[in-house]
Amino acid sequence: MAEEEEGKEYRWETGYEKTWEAIQEDDEGLLEGSVAEIIQRAKRKRQAERHGNTRLGMMRHLFLVIDNSDCMSNQDLKPTRQLCTIKLLEGFIDEFFDQNPISQMGIIITKSKRAEKISELAGNPRKHIKAVQQLTQVACSGEPSLQNALELALRSLRMLPSHASREILILMGSLTTCDPGDISVTVQNLKAQGVRCSVIALAAEVHICHKLCRETGGLFGVILDDCHFRDQLFQHIDPPPAATFLDSSLIKMGFPHHLMQEGKEASLTMCMCHVDSTDGEGGRLNSGGYFCPQCCSKYCELPVECKACGLTLVSAPHLARSYHHLFPVDNFKELEFRDMQDKIELCFACQKRFGEHDKHVYECGTCSRIFCLECDMFIHDLLHTCPGCATNHSTSQSMSNDSVPPR
Amino acid sequence: MKLSVDGLLVYFPYDYIYPEQYAYMLELKKGLDAKGHCLLEMPSGTGKTVSLLSLIVAYMIANPLSVTKLIYCSRTVPEIEKVLEELKKLMTYYEKERGQAPKMVGLVLSSRKNMCIHPQVSKERDGKIVDGRCHSLTASYVRERHNYDDSIPICSFYEGFDIEGREVQLEPGVYSLDDLKEYGQERNWCPYFLARYTILHANIVVYSYHYLLDPKIADVVSKELSRSSVVVFDEAHNIDNVCIDSMSVKINRRIIDRSTANIQLLEQTVNEMKEDDAKKLKEEYQRLVEGLRDASVARETDVVLSNPVLPDEVLKEAVPGSIRTAEHFVGFLKRFVEYLKTRLRVQHVVLESPASFLKDVYQKVCIERKPLRFCHERLASLLRTLEIADLTDFSPLILITHLATLVSTYTKGFTIIVEPFDDKTPTVSNPILHFSCLDSSIAIKPVFDRFQTVVITSGTLSPLDMYPKILDFHPVIMSSFTMTLARPCLLPMIVSKGNDQVAISSRFETREDVAVVRNYGQLLVEIATIVPDGVVCFFTSYLYLESVVASWYDQGVVDSLQRNKLLFIETQDAAETSLALLNYIRACESGRGAVLLSVARGKVSEGVDFDHHLGRAVLMFGIPYVYTQSRILRARLEYLRDQFQIRENDFLTFDAMRHAAQCVGRAIRGKTDYGIMIFADKRFSRADKRNKLPKWIQEHLKDSLCNLSTEEAVQDRCLGVIGYRRNELQQSII
Repeated sequence: MAEEEEGKEYRWETGYEKTWEAIQEDDEGLLEGSVAEIIQRAKRKRQAERHGNTRLGMMRHLFLVIDNSDCMSNQDLKPTRQLCTIKLLEGFIDEFFDQNPISQMGIIITKSKRAEKISELAGNPRKHIKAVQQLTQVACSGEPSLQNALELALRSLRMLPSHASREILILMGSLTTCDPGDISVTVQNLKAQGVRCSVIALAAEVHICHKLCRETGGLFGVILDDCHFRDQLFQHIDPPPAATFLDSSLIKMGFPHHLMQEGKEASLTMCMCHVDSTDGEGGRLNSGGYFCPQCCSKYCELPVECKACGLTLVSAPHLARSYHHLFPVDNFKELEFRDMQDKIELCFACQKRFGEHDKHVYECGTCSRIFCLECDMFIHDLLHTCPGCATNHSTSQSMSNDSVPPR
Repeated sequence: MKLSVDGLLVYFPYDYIYPEQYAYMLELKKGLDAKGHCLLEMPSGTGKTVSLLSLIVAYMIANPLSVTKLIYCSRTVPEIEKVLEELKKLMTYYEKERGQAPKMVGLVLSSRKNMCIHPQVSKERDGKIVDGRCHSLTASYVRERHNYDDSIPICSFYEGFDIEGREVQLEPGVYSLDDLKEYGQERNWCPYFLARYTILHANIVVYSYHYLLDPKIADVVSKELSRSSVVVFDEAHNIDNVCIDSMSVKINRRIIDRSTANIQLLEQTVNEMKEDDAKKLKEEYQRLVEGLRDASVARETDVVLSNPVLPDEVLKEAVPGSIRTAEHFVGFLKRFVEYLKTRLRVQHVVLESPASFLKDVYQKVCIERKPLRFCHERLASLLRTLEIADLTDFSPLILITHLATLVSTYTKGFTIIVEPFDDKTPTVSNPILHFSCLDSSIAIKPVFDRFQTVVITSGTLSPLDMYPKILDFHPVIMSSFTMTLARPCLLPMIVSKGNDQVAISSRFETREDVAVVRNYGQLLVEIATIVPDGVVCFFTSYLYLESVVASWYDQGVVDSLQRNKLLFIETQDAAETSLALLNYIRACESGRGAVLLSVARGKVSEGVDFDHHLGRAVLMFGIPYVYTQSRILRARLEYLRDQFQIRENDFLTFDAMRHAAQCVGRAIRGKTDYGIMIFADKRFSRADKRNKLPKWIQEHLKDSLCNLSTEEAVQDRCLGVIGYRRNELQQSII
């Protein structure tokens, strides 16, 4: 602490780090970062835990709480904790809306014992990314206040309808929190309101964070390095199982078409999303757009909540993409490559030749095709259909019957 | 689970057993088979209590003749309650597995303060007042008087117990404090007397050390326990000090003054009684002529735990003539107190043996040794005769008679030191007469002689070979067990120098050195920035704590500390300390983080657990040597050297290291717990210090962790070992 403040220290003055000791040999004497293995194992484990046929909170309302206090300028993540976090968040926000198109997100930062909302609860990833990117300009200062941040998030989340899932994800760099009152009351409030709080700690396990997660049913994780950080962060992309007391209700949605008035003299109009933004980009007048079926307001992109009439506007593929979380591809069977060596040579998906490095291969339970680890991950994380089943006529028929959503 | 320990079927109430628990049971079984004493060290949180209980209970069931009773002694009430909980679990398991619980009575005995259910008396906070008020409601003459005068209050619960309680045996089962109280409420019986009566035939008794070790209490409570009992002293790392404290007396001016007042009251009462009821005094006289024969009969049959205060010879003789009548005895006491008063009027330190003290008493006030020996018993008899109900008022006088009896009984192993003033305040006259026991084996000897197996166990008993020497017994089993861990959850480190390479040490010559104090401060600040939640620091003394904190203020260390965590300090004031402790816990719970500065041998270092987030790191600043200038300690060291051939330095190191281990051991209270232990003193890395740490700490103290500077200690590499960042892995394993 005292050293950091002096700040004028050169790298060679900071004493020696025995970096060679951090590298460990694995069982076979190979120098491989043990961290990568941990992450992979954890990923597989998480996948294995996922089952079909559970109720998921699909309309997610997530508040990101970002610690922006003093200790975020710590350099244990390169270049600094703050910059690393921002970089990862950009990817996270994109991916989040890609996988959960009918969800909304808001961003809160906490520093100097205060909490501040830098981005309201909304479904537009670009706006959030911009807000996050602007954080690079903000200096890290003071101590964070967990309670203020939680209260602020709760104030917005409380208003939501009962079918919406409410979540808070906290990125905590600090080991302390400076709160105005008794935080355990806030925790109980959150629990009563059914808000699921998760914490990713960048430094170490802090009791109150752990308790918060345990009480509200969220996940708690401490990162090992930036890769692990990414992994911890991205596991929040999959929608969590719905809380039992979440109501189910019918939601009115609009499916606007993209209209371009061609041929005629197109009248240039502003879209509703950019009507009050002052910066030039996107604020230009154009002729095409999505028109709300209820009130004919124009929007340049979907999904969005209509500003005029409050209707949720989505396109069918969005809904379908959200839907596939409900029917995940069954977990593949893990097989020892050694036993399979004679029978199989190539990964069915990427056509990679299996070699010495592959300890395990993975078999789809339905079509019995064999995949490598990377493809296994890719199929389950992103693709959500098994290429083996999709190319096989009989299985793809049966699959499409139960996985394509009714329009 | 059921398992066989060396052929003995043991029911173990959990599904899993740690290897060290099994090893512990094996050793314990060997000790029970050999009917000898054991000394066993196993870290806290590894299930010592349940291993002990399940093995001994199994042994009692298998060999009902050789072991009939388990006496489990622990230190504090919460610890005692924990034992009862484990015992209940064990009995439930027996019931589940065998269809019926074994026919055993297990119960707890505690002071009246914790057990009283009388609506008014139980409201009192002070233990002594509860005892006094209880006595004034239950003494035999009070109850007698109540028979013809209804206005004299008595305790209905005691009456209830007296009428029915002695006939009925307690149903087999386990009774905790609350169970006993409830049981008492239901039947209108006094739980305290019920428990005291029941321990005679109960199979498992759980109570505090003092009921066995303190001769004043042991005589009343534990004298009729049978020989074929197993006695367990848990958390017994300080047992020698408990022994010594129970045999030592400290007298200052205040006690003298109050006992003078006591004597006046006695005199007055005797005179009054002489006018009203001279017969009673005469009866007492007759009784005394016949001597304390009844007591000696009891002792000959060997059913009584012999009381070291009252040696056998005393019982065989009649009370000497000079103190037989009440007036004479009061006069005798008056003379003795006057004599003590003159002894306190000194300008310089006096150190003398009991023998020369006795001689001096004889010369100055003509008091012989023999009547002095009977002083304690005689006073008790007089108080009974005078029907003085509230004994609390007489505690100073009782203390003085205690001194009289002890000083005339023992000539070896004790010393008398009169100090005219406190060493810290040489100008303020505050004379104290210490009658100090030097030999811890005196108090515990009857226990070792009396019972076939005595088990001494704790988390920190290293070095083991010291205890047999200072307690003067021959254990058949002496073992230290380590903790098997799925991953290293403790990280001991010895930090010997600061960033500027100046060696840090609390040696007397360097402790006030600015560089040392600054380096200590820097170490703490660095630790406070990287460790979440609670950090506990131990200093060697209050004095040193104060001076260090003062210079930290000047150096700005306190400011930078407070940037990360709140700061709490233990003081000598008990109320202040418990307030600080309370707020420390609150700060840790709410995520604010806190640092607690406390003192080895203080209240915090004994008995307060800093488990999980309450102590993620402990720092030991310096080696907690006892204050070596103390005359009592010097006398004891000399005695140990002459009698037991223990070198002074060996004992001091032993004592310091067990306290250091005790302090750092506060942070790890189980396998799921994790924390850093930092020994910040150059001298810790020397082999003679390092080897005296408990095995379970030594095991993790690798050579590479032994001679670190501050920055090496706080490197990520070190913390990575322990899993500050590996929470995930930890969860997957546990």
